[in-house]
Amino acid sequence: MFKDLDPILHSQLRLAVISLLISVKEADFSFIKEKTNATAGNLSVQIQKLKEAGYVEVEKKFSNNYPLTTCKITPKGIEAFETYVKALQEYLNAGKS
Amino acid sequence: MQNEHQLTEAESLQIITEMIGKVKSHFHESGSGAILWGSVIGFCSLMSFLQLYFHFSIGFDIWILSLVAIIPQLFIVWNNRRKRTIETYSEAAMNAVWSTFAIVLFGLILYLNLIGNISKQLMLNEQQLLLMKNTQTGELKEIVPFVLSSNSLFLLIYAFPTLATGFIRKFKPMILGGILCMLCFVASLFLNTTFDFLLQAIAVIVSWLIPGLILRNRYVKQQMGNV
Repeated sequence: MFKDLDPILHSQLRLAVISLLISVKEADFSFIKEKTNATAGNLSVQIQKLKEAGYVEVEKKFSNNYPLTTCKITPKGIEAFETYVKALQEYLNAGKS
Repeated sequence: MQNEHQLTEAESLQIITEMIGKVKSHFHESGSGAILWGSVIGFCSLMSFLQLYFHFSIGFDIWILSLVAIIPQLFIVWNNRRKRTIETYSEAAMNAVWSTFAIVLFGLILYLNLIGNISKQLMLNEQQLLLMKNTQTGELKEIVPFVLSSNSLFLLIYAFPTLATGFIRKFKPMILGGILCMLCFVASLFLNTTFDFLLQAIAVIVSWLIPGLILRNRYVKQQMGNV
């Protein structure tokens, strides 16, 4: 019996955001936008969904008089990502056999 | 990147791999700090060696330059923070290692500057005096207690952040530099202060300046690639 893939993570942009955040301590909104090629509006919505799920922490501050949004993956987000990757492996292994 | 597309498992895996790869290729250190301190400490050590070896004086303590270098270092830190869009775990580890090194270095300098006079006072309180005897003339001369081969201690602690950086970043030039610091430390135990300065110059040029220049070269290439 396969585990269901987490619907929060099983989305192109949200998965991309989490995959970026898993390898860094924190990242600016501009960095995530650049690497995912997403629009600012869409990215904001998806980050908000990840935040509501408790997978990321979002901090808004000012740097040199400009608003700066930084995102950080939470322990719950790391656990969800690991579970998602394990489930993916199971699907892929089942496909091979 | 669109969000509504229904992902297959293979596509999910591809996104994960692609994003992790993008983070890896994004980060390159500019090497400015390593170049700054490699040049300053290398130059001060070399000047100290030349003054002692050729018996001349430039009229002021060359090590004042290392204090002046704190100003550009603060600018480098500020500039890096301003430009930074991500903080990686290895970057956070590096900051911790080099901050610890700066604190330890400050402690060592404080110790070397204070310990002589404090020890002398403590000895005087117990009616003791440290004397040095000239074995030829038999003359006794009062001396202030001092730490023998104090430059060896600097070489030893230079090895710590250099090796840690090399191992964490898997950066061979710094691993080799750290090993050289350790070898120079051992060699300095058998040499006098004059040559300790020469060893110190060689150690910091190889372990900080050269790796810094390599990092700088990579950074410039990456920046040109992004234009």
